[in-house]
Formats: sequence, structure tokens, C-alpha cells
Amino acid sequence: MRPRSVSYDYVLILATVAVLFAISVLCIYGMFAFKFAQIQNLPPAAKLAHMERLNRLAAPLIIALITLLGICIPKRLLPTRWLNRFAVLLLATAGTVGGVYGVRPALLVILTASLVLQLAVLALAVAGSGLLRFERSGYWLRLGSTLMHLGLILFVLDLFFFRRPLLHLALFWTTTVATTAGMLCCFYAQPLARLVQKKKGPPAP
Amino acid sequence: MENLSHILTLFTSAGRVLMGLLLAVATAGGVWGLANLCRRDPLLPRLSGPLLATATALMALGFLLIAWLHVEIHRLLPLTLPAELVPWLNRQLAAANQGSPYGLPLYDPAAPPRYVLPLWIENEKYFFWFLCSTGMALVAHRRLTQHRFRAALLLLAAVQVAVLFFTTNPFVEPLARFFAEVRPWFAATDPWQQFSLFMQLYPRMVFYYNAHYMWLHPPLLFLSYAAITLVFITSCLMLARREVDVEALGYDFAKLGFLALTLGMLLGYPWALQAWGPNWWWDPKICSSIMLWAVFSTYLHTRLYANKPHMWYFSSILGILSFVAMLFTLLASYYFPGEHTFQ
Repeated sequence: MRPRSVSYDYVLILATVAVLFAISVLCIYGMFAFKFAQIQNLPPAAKLAHMERLNRLAAPLIIALITLLGICIPKRLLPTRWLNRFAVLLLATAGTVGGVYGVRPALLVILTASLVLQLAVLALAVAGSGLLRFERSGYWLRLGSTLMHLGLILFVLDLFFFRRPLLHLALFWTTTVATTAGMLCCFYAQPLARLVQKKKGPPAP
Repeated sequence: MENLSHILTLFTSAGRVLMGLLLAVATAGGVWGLANLCRRDPLLPRLSGPLLATATALMALGFLLIAWLHVEIHRLLPLTLPAELVPWLNRQLAAANQGSPYGLPLYDPAAPPRYVLPLWIENEKYFFWFLCSTGMALVAHRRLTQHRFRAALLLLAAVQVAVLFFTTNPFVEPLARFFAEVRPWFAATDPWQQFSLFMQLYPRMVFYYNAHYMWLHPPLLFLSYAAITLVFITSCLMLARREVDVEALGYDFAKLGFLALTLGMLLGYPWALQAWGPNWWWDPKICSSIMLWAVFSTYLHTRLYANKPHMWYFSSILGILSFVAMLFTLLASYYFPGEHTFQ
């Protein structure tokens, strides 16, 4: 009997869920650690040390999440065979940059690659291209999903640059607009389609 | 402060009458709900709509009363400092602002700082949350006619009004914490004592009470809490008996709730950076909110596959779990210390 094949999408979803679950467990630990160590009553230096310790614990999970994001994004554009190659290439580049310059530049490489690809996906989604691979059909649904994922990438980039107020605010508001517009397009795809159709007028017989 | 005392007396008296009426209407609704939840055939089916509409109208009236009190606070409680202190204060503020990306505005004697209190602080936040919830229940009531579903909506409204009346009534000791903070300042007669208290009150006024984000971040979250409560009701009914209409209505509220939750959480981020600086991630409330968001987004993702066998069952359990996560997030503010604490 042939073993049942597991789709690439499914594995990526499972891996993302596992990382999110690990982050949730760390969050619960963080809550109780905060409470029982009476962090709010400690001097600022001890408070900072606690935060840094939790940041160090969270760092591998965030790195894993960003890496998964980097692999997930091109699945809309590339067939599975090319997707594998792309994932290997991306990880190899990030690994090399990480080895030479450190973890932050390596993560920036992944995020920048994801951003460029997601912008390409957005352009194709806006154009209504049939080249994109989506689980669900419908112009507004696809556009919404693309915008939400773009918002996610921009949000993570924003976390990188929060110490630069101007860049942070620009990234933040772009994230917020993209995410909100994405959710509106996804959740209210049918009313949107009806509204646009109404404005355009009835289709020609 | 004396100017405000007669307004506070009027506010509490009117609030007492309003809350009494609200409790009476909600109790009648609760009795109707209990009776209909247990029955196979509807009992007095025309009563539920007017009861729910009256409860919503009374809550809206209460909300207007709260808004009026806040307008009066803005009008009557400016933080006015003696003129001789102003140059010295502004030098202090300018020095404190150096090197900080988010500074405090300098004091302008022509327009002394005034409180612009949001309408969802202290006990008022429960009033706003339950107002959203009752409003949504009214919309749901109009969309579906199943008597058991309507009964659940009225029971929910009754429970929420009871919680408001007995534990978090915003008309009994209104804004107790706010007044405890500002009363010493208005009682102080020595200018230097006033100055010292001003330096305590002013940052809190700028970064908390008067923050623009305060008008977006909390109300969006309370709106999402109200929607999650409705999702809880539809999910419970789905577990008892699968009905496509109920499920579709629950999904509509879930979409609205998720939109409000995500936007509300996002809008808290730049505000947290302004008010607390970096490293606020590990605040217990934020940890629990991230968990709530993860559970709720899982619910919405499973709903995409609702046509698969038994997925509706799994989706309903996740809807209930989202409500539990929401309660946990709310209670975290009481049990866990941190920047969001209600203790």
C-alpha cells in the first residue's frame, strides 16, 4: 500500500502551530514567573534582567517563526519542487549571513526576501492573475489573504526597527492598514464583490 | 472640586434610578429566558424583543450619562498652576524631554492641561462592554427567531446587568481611582506641593487618560469581547443541536470580533512603546492577549473547513475555548500584576 502523501502546506501549518503553541507555553510561564518573582517590585536592573532572560528564551521561537514565514510566502508563486529549492537557498543564504554578520542581519535577509515576494504576490493578486496558488478562490478573498500576510511581515519588520520612531510609525501604520484592509476583504468578500458590481453596473448580456 | 460635587450627586442619583430600572427589565428578561430555554414551544414569544430593546436603550442612556460626567470633568478640573512656577516647570519638562523620543508637552498657562477622560475607565469599561454585548444581542435577536436562542440572549443580558448592578456599578462611587489621584492636587494650597503633585499627575494624564490610543485600543477590545461572548452562545447551542443559521450568525460575530481584537491589539503597540518603552512584551496581560488571539484565530481557521465531517463540532469547542481564553485574559488583570493591572 502506498503511504498517504502529506502536502507541503499541511507540514508548514503544523510547524507554525507547533511554534505558536511553544510561544503560548512560554507566555504562560512568563505570566507566572512575573507574578511569583514579584517582578513589578524589583529594582529596574533586576526587572530588565528578567525581561532579557525571557527574550533569550523567546528568540529561537521567533527565529523559527520568521524562517517558516520566509518559506511559506513563496508557496503562492512557486510549484513544490521549486519551493524546496527556494527554501534551501534561503536558509543557506541566511545561514551564511548569520555566520558572518550575526543573527539579526540573517533574519533581516529572510524578512526582506519575504517582503519582496509578498509584494510580487500582492501585485499579481491585484491584477487577478491566475498564476497564484491559493486554497480558496475569489478575487477579494485572495487579495485579503495577501494583504494580511503582508501586514504580518511588516509587523515583524516593525519589531526590528522600533527604536527608530519615524520608521517604526511608518511601518506600524502600513501594517495596520494592510491587516485591516486584508481582514475586510477576506471577511466581507461577498458584500464587497456585490458593491463593486453595483458600481460597475450589470454585466453585458 | 467643589464645582463638581453637585454634578456628582446628580450623576449618582440619576444613575441609581437608571440601574434600578435596568435591573428590573433585565430580571424580567432573565425569567423569560429561563422559562423559554427549558420549553419545547415558545412562551410569550412577543415579549423578548421589547425587553431586550428596552435594556439596550437604558444602557445607551447610562452611557450618555457617563459621557456627560466626563465632559463636566474636562470643563471644571483644569490643572492650573501658579504663574510663578511656570518657567521653572517648563525648564524641568524640557530637560526631562531631552533624549526621549516621546516627551511631555510644555505647560501653556493660557490653556492649562485638562483631562479628556475616555468613557471606558474603571467600572465604566464593564458598562461599555455590556452595552456592546446587549446591542449585538439585539441584532442577533432580530436575525434569528429560534426561541431557545433568544432565551440564551436574554439570559446573557440578565447576567451582565446583574454583574454591573452588584459588583461593578459605575454610578456608585464614580471614577473612585481617578478622584483619589486628583483630590490631593485640588486640596493642596502650597505652590511647591502643587508642583510636586503636578509632576505625578501630568505624565499619567498625557500617557494614559488623554492618550489618543485610549479612544481606540480599549473600546475595540471590549467590542471584540462582546462579539466573543456572542460566539460563545452560538457555539454552546451548536454543541447541543447543529443549526446552520445559528452557526452562520456566530461566524458573522466572530469575524467582527477578530477584526476588532486584532486592530485593538495592534493599536496598543505604539502606545506601549510611548508609555513604557521597550520590553513590555512580558507584561502578563499582553501574554494572555496573545494567547487569546492565537485561540480565536484557530477558531476562524477551523471554520474555513466547516463543511468537513465533525469539523463544526471542533469549531464549536474552539469558540467556547476562545470565550474561556477571553475570561482568563480579563481575570489576568486582577490576578497578575503588571502594567494592565486592575488591582
